[in-house]
Amino acid sequence: MIQVHGVSKRFASLVLDDVHLSVPRGSLVGLVGPGASGKSVLVKAITGLVRPDAGRIVVDGQELTSLGELELQAARARFGMLFQQNALFDFMTVEGNVAFPLRRLTTLAEPEIRARARDRLARVGLAGFEDRMPAALSGGQKKRVGIARATITDAPIRLYDEPAAGLDPVTSQKIFDLLREEQRAAGATAIMISSDVDRLLSVVDRIVMMVRGRVVFDGPVDGARSSENAMVRQFLRGETEGPL
Amino acid sequence: MSAFATRVGRSAITAGLQAADVYRLFARTLYYVFRGRRSRGATLEQLYLIGNKSLFFMTTVMGFLGMITVFQAGLQLERVVPDTSQLGASFAELLVRNFAPDIGAMMLATRVGAGIAAEIGSMAVTEQLDALRMSAADPIDFLVVPRFLASLVMTAVLVIWGAAVAEGVGLLTGWSVFDIRPGTFFNLMMVDVGDVVVGLAKCFAYGAAIPLLSAHMGLRAYGGSEGVGSATTNAVVASSFAVIVLNAIISAAGFLVFPQ
Repeated sequence: MIQVHGVSKRFASLVLDDVHLSVPRGSLVGLVGPGASGKSVLVKAITGLVRPDAGRIVVDGQELTSLGELELQAARARFGMLFQQNALFDFMTVEGNVAFPLRRLTTLAEPEIRARARDRLARVGLAGFEDRMPAALSGGQKKRVGIARATITDAPIRLYDEPAAGLDPVTSQKIFDLLREEQRAAGATAIMISSDVDRLLSVVDRIVMMVRGRVVFDGPVDGARSSENAMVRQFLRGETEGPL
Repeated sequence: MSAFATRVGRSAITAGLQAADVYRLFARTLYYVFRGRRSRGATLEQLYLIGNKSLFFMTTVMGFLGMITVFQAGLQLERVVPDTSQLGASFAELLVRNFAPDIGAMMLATRVGAGIAAEIGSMAVTEQLDALRMSAADPIDFLVVPRFLASLVMTAVLVIWGAAVAEGVGLLTGWSVFDIRPGTFFNLMMVDVGDVVVGLAKCFAYGAAIPLLSAHMGLRAYGGSEGVGSATTNAVVASSFAVIVLNAIISAAGFLVFPQ
């Protein structure tokens, strides 16, 4: 379970403003909002990659905001994260990228690690790409390698930042379905950020909308669709006129 | 006046905070030197990249500088005291104590410092450092420590090599231009233990400072390619400045401990 209590963060301006959020164990929550609304920063704060200026973040009963860097390293073993820009290591092969979390976080033997990495790549449709370098991949292929790396440890908490960015509609749907299926099978707790709102709404249990660092909606998908909140309505319908 | 004072005060605070950050980076680097889990071969790879890849640059520059220094010093000596017999001995002392470590470190600050800052900075702006952290790989352990260790070793090796090249080219220059016999030029009579200790102390101090300051700039890079460029520039400036400051400190300590 992820609990965010009154988290605020300021860089040049206020990015997170007294954010409260609760993600029950085993649920998949969609996080939406216009650009620069603080979604990615919130997800990074949950993993401890960004330190909040105020507030508390508790994951499975452990308060992460009070941990030191070395303790955070151990705590992060519970997370699998897909980054907005994929964040593939450009000095490693595709297989090296996918196998990296297993090499760092587990004591599996090398043949087992390689077998799992190849299997994971095959699941995202990249069998045969093992020895390529990330620079030789298309945007969509990089995204799929990122997904393979984020899911390979079967982490109980998964954070996906724009899993469908740069993918064609068919591949996008396959990726959303794959992530949902894996999340359900593992009973993982997950937060998914996506600009592809329609597909996102089709797979998540609940939707949270952020605007200018604040949570403006938190409720079920049907509730979002029928919301009276002008910002939620405008965002979900993609209207150009409105408060956003 | 108050605006000026405010700006000076703000700059001082920023410099103090940065110095504290560099100190923390140094402390964590030392921690991971003994307790880290970096990948096998990472330090060897950096030894190659920092050492072998700097060899041509170091050889060429130190060779030319050795030639120019001996030529100019010889010309002046011939004008003032027409006796160049002690030119080689003075040049050797200058090389060991100051010339080779200081000039060599300045060159490494540009080549190695820029490379480290650009590499780590580009990883910072593309979220690769965050991806490392998510896999329990602290970037300081994974990226900084191999560069730190390799730089410690290779700065000393390259400086010694650079000194040998400068001495060799200086010897040829003295022989061909001033007719100083190689046996006369190659004279280590004026090089004492203090010169060697000060020279080596500088090598290790520069070898530690350059990767740490450059990595510090790279780790805090943000904002895309502009941020990487800025980190690279700052790394070269900070490393060069550190070489000058460390030179002053170690030279002063050297003169106190090993009076001439």
